[in-house]
Amino acid sequence: MNQGLHVPEELLNQIEYILTHLAEKAHTDSIVLADISGQVISINGIMDEGTPDVVAALAAGDVAAMAELSKRIGESDPHGSFFHEGESKSIYLHNIAGSFILIVIYRAETPIGLVRLFAKRAVEQLIPITEEFEKIVGPPSSYTPDGFSKGITQELNDTFLED
Amino acid sequence: MFINWKLREINLKIVYYGPSLSGKTSSLEYIHSRTHPDRRGELISLKTREDRTLYFDYMQFQMGEIGGLKPRFNIYTVPGQVYYRGTRKLVLKGVDGIVFVADSQINRLDENLEAIKDLNEDLKELGFEPKDIPFVLQCNKRDLPEIVPVHTLKEHLGLNGIPTYESVAVDGVGVLDGLKSIVNNVVTNARGKINPDLA
Repeated sequence: MNQGLHVPEELLNQIEYILTHLAEKAHTDSIVLADISGQVISINGIMDEGTPDVVAALAAGDVAAMAELSKRIGESDPHGSFFHEGESKSIYLHNIAGSFILIVIYRAETPIGLVRLFAKRAVEQLIPITEEFEKIVGPPSSYTPDGFSKGITQELNDTFLED
Repeated sequence: MFINWKLREINLKIVYYGPSLSGKTSSLEYIHSRTHPDRRGELISLKTREDRTLYFDYMQFQMGEIGGLKPRFNIYTVPGQVYYRGTRKLVLKGVDGIVFVADSQINRLDENLEAIKDLNEDLKELGFEPKDIPFVLQCNKRDLPEIVPVHTLKEHLGLNGIPTYESVAVDGVGVLDGLKSIVNNVVTNARGKINPDLA
């Protein structure tokens, strides 16, 4: 994964289909698929701008901590799932093969059993797709990256406010 | 690095690393305060009751389209205390660039050395070759009286040849210079990864 992930459109469409199906079946509020380093890969549902990135970053820290905790109590497979039960909304996290995280946000009145059932099915469908990510090492043939890195100075000046 | 070819977004991760109390969180707070509000996300800090970084600090900013891709930068700090090494390693997963925030004070030289040693070991354990990762040295606390000369600090840390910036993070001096340098290096490196012929 150190060379980075290139996720082509057709795989993203498959992921979106799986997340949409999960959202419909489990009546979820929103769903984020992230990689284990906390980068957002796909989103389902409506979230404020920037929220998915924060959710993914925090979930990555949470999943990593839980994996370490599991190891400390002798669990041989630390890639399980766990959830936080809130008053109005709850969060279900599922570690996908140690490389990706499925983050499901659902209303408190939704039964956790329903979320777990359909989330596990979604994870089973996502595993072969996420395995495909690792095999893709380059951009689509239609993309020529000549311009990437040109114009960076202007963009940096536009992004940061000088004193 | 993660590229979403559907949205034409490139996500890049930069980590501010260094010993405890060297100025990592102060740097990130300043960066957040100086990032155009339309281009930045929320600053998230997971702190202890003593206001020390527990897990990490995090912010995200995005830039306009460059060469057909829209860069989004995820910026993290790590907790500096020795006993949080496990957390530091977790934050380094998937890193695309590192800013090492050194404490310039003479009596903190050992802590800087220990931090750089941990960093190199953690990167190797995560499968990185440290010399291949874009790296910037930010020599912080240059306003204090008993500080190590920059060239001496670089030599002690084995960082000769690394882009270096002097800073006073609590006042923001030099912080954006270091950030712009790492962003430039990370983008150039990413371009080489997208197409090795252009590296």
